[in-house]
Amino acid sequence: MIEKALKGNRSYWIWIAFLVSVIGVGLSAYDQQRWFGLTVTGMGRDISWGLYIAQFTFLVGVAASAVMVVLPYYLHHQKEFAKTVIIGEFMAVSATLMSMLFILADMGRPDRLLNIMLYPSPHSMVFWDLLVLSGYLLMNLVSSWAMLGAERKGVPPKAWVKPLIYLSIPWAFSVHTVTAFLYAGMPGRHLWLTAVLAPRFLASAFAAGTALLILVSLILKRTTGFDTGKEARAKLTVLAAYAGVANIFFLGTEFFTAFYSNVPAHKESLQYLFFGLDGNCQFVPLMWYSLISGVASIIVLLVPALRKSTPWLVGACSALVLSIWIDKGVGLILGGFVPSPLQDIVQYTPTATEIFVTLGIWGIGILLLTLLLKVVVAVKMENEE
Amino acid sequence: MSSVADGNTMMNEQRREFIKKTALGVLVGLGAASGLVPAFSLEKTVLPVWDEKPVPGKIRWGMLIDTRKCKEGCQQCAAACHHAHNVPDFRNKKDEIKWLWQNPYQKVFPTASQQFVSKEIQDRSCLALCNHCAESPCTKACPTEATFKRWDGIVAMDYHRCIGCRFCMAACPYGSRSFNWQDPRTAIHDPVTTYPTREQGVVEKCNFCSDRLVKGQQPACTEACPEQALTFGDLNDPRSDIRQLLEANETTQRKPELGTKPSVFYII
Amino acid sequence: MEVMMMSRKLLWIVAVTAIVLFAVLNVFRKGEAETSQPPVHKSVAVDSTKCIAPASFMRANHMQVLYEWRNSSVRTGNRVYIAHNGSKFEKSLNTCLGCHSNNRMFCFNCHSYANVKPKCWNCHLSPMETP
Repeated sequence: MIEKALKGNRSYWIWIAFLVSVIGVGLSAYDQQRWFGLTVTGMGRDISWGLYIAQFTFLVGVAASAVMVVLPYYLHHQKEFAKTVIIGEFMAVSATLMSMLFILADMGRPDRLLNIMLYPSPHSMVFWDLLVLSGYLLMNLVSSWAMLGAERKGVPPKAWVKPLIYLSIPWAFSVHTVTAFLYAGMPGRHLWLTAVLAPRFLASAFAAGTALLILVSLILKRTTGFDTGKEARAKLTVLAAYAGVANIFFLGTEFFTAFYSNVPAHKESLQYLFFGLDGNCQFVPLMWYSLISGVASIIVLLVPALRKSTPWLVGACSALVLSIWIDKGVGLILGGFVPSPLQDIVQYTPTATEIFVTLGIWGIGILLLTLLLKVVVAVKMENEE
Repeated sequence: MSSVADGNTMMNEQRREFIKKTALGVLVGLGAASGLVPAFSLEKTVLPVWDEKPVPGKIRWGMLIDTRKCKEGCQQCAAACHHAHNVPDFRNKKDEIKWLWQNPYQKVFPTASQQFVSKEIQDRSCLALCNHCAESPCTKACPTEATFKRWDGIVAMDYHRCIGCRFCMAACPYGSRSFNWQDPRTAIHDPVTTYPTREQGVVEKCNFCSDRLVKGQQPACTEACPEQALTFGDLNDPRSDIRQLLEANETTQRKPELGTKPSVFYII
Repeated sequence: MEVMMMSRKLLWIVAVTAIVLFAVLNVFRKGEAETSQPPVHKSVAVDSTKCIAPASFMRANHMQVLYEWRNSSVRTGNRVYIAHNGSKFEKSLNTCLGCHSNNRMFCFNCHSYANVKPKCWNCHLSPMETP
């Protein structure tokens, strides 16, 4: 079945070539990083996590969002999602791989990666995160491939496939909850030390991931003619919109607790991000853009006349994804480190090397997704004939 | 009678056969194993005959810093520490590595009251270092137990195992940890041969001079201080100097509300 | 009885094959420094009776010894090693380097010959670097 990914028109191969060149640049940037150390990034003693971990956090969310189509389709037999489910699942595979690659890129000693398995530490959330992410990756890849293969052959899938898919539903929730627990248990980082972090992660994941799924399905329709269906997209739009509402609501509750209680530890990071602290306002414009565009895109997604129009849908989904990418990445990760435990405010700017490595990993993920979706489209269109 | 003897002989014969076959089988197995699996060595490394394992929790090392005695501009403790442990100096804030350093009062104690603090205390230099917490969030966070709680209360780093994920740095509420963003050997300006360096990609921090304690010496900072502002000792021993000073003085700790139970105390 | 005779024969054949295989594989294996010695500095004389274990044992197992010493010293706190002959040593790299201090090429000699690149010297100060 993989041979279907090796047949394509000119545009397909130009796209592949473009991705491969981006990956190539990323690899050479990573080589620099391995040689000189992580000093080539913008991270430092006070902001010890940056762009890489921001991408990781965002992408784990996208990966978990596959459950938004898997659950309705497999558990509640919502037939509109028939053509969308596998796209969501393969998106999850790609996103999980990317998030794990970002962790690898961020490690100071990636040659010692196996130490996490050799010296298991159940008290550490990173240990559990590695387990659940690896499991999720395999689970989705194997079950989706098996389903696709069965569909191609016109036979029902093997007996073990459905239970595996059912398992992936709670597993998806656990994937992003464990990731949230990475942050929510740190006593010194008050932006993260909140019970609402895990629910907020899930809400923003479901909003951004679903919006991305809508975009991917539209891209597929434009490039291959394969249409997942207007009804599926309509349902996804509603899901994304309400997940987005929940996310904004959670942000609102964070603001309330921080500013009404007036406790400095609770306030300071949010103050820094949205209003600036002691004259430092590096991220203020970005955070307001994220908030305003997030709210605006949700409104567009909720207004029937607008969301039915494709240009508006594309605009709103893109804006929502970008808004959450900023909020979860820039806002959450970098904001968590400012002010530092000794009340210092430090600037962070990603370097070119860091950005190229990031783009390279995105390239790997998108390449994988391209190949997998090529197979999907080929199989599905074959069956339609 | 003869049938019994015959029976016995038969039994002996069978027994002999069995032993021969087993011995051959064992020989075959061993031969095959040591021939085909080169790493399998019959010789095992000998473990120590008698364990001198320390009793966990018997000693709890702690430090008391009398900030009243710190002289303006004096850096001897930090200089001694960094020198004794080959701590690099990259001369830029981003890559900075520090185990022990001075900070104004409000930065070291941000959750203490900052209202109408006397000028003298505001300008006071307070030492910041790893608190070697009894309930450290960093050891909880570490996915490989590269940082772990020792038997004597010291929060130790196993540089051989650290994967450089910097989770411990995020977990530490005191900002005590530094990461080797690049190769430290290029930035050690006055190396000593009595202690190793670290390498690129691992986290490091104050180790309460465990290397000196094992030789019966006081920590480098404690010894170097010209005003004897630092007192180091066993918090579990009620007759130790540090315990006596803790009894006799009003002391405080950094961010006690977080429940980390630090081992470093301050007299303001 | 016939079957027993057959299986005995088979067992002998297998045993002899295994022994021959073992001999062949081990004699021609160049893993240890037993078969071909690396060049040793003629000028140094080390009293290997004072070492923690016999030289042949150390050559084969020093990696495991160091690994166990490292875990014991750093992680468990047990710093005392009792050798075969009862003498006590501190479980430290300095113990080795202290005895072998007259040879600056102590570790590098064999390692460069065997093309082994342990990462000890990324952090620890090697005999070549210490005066």
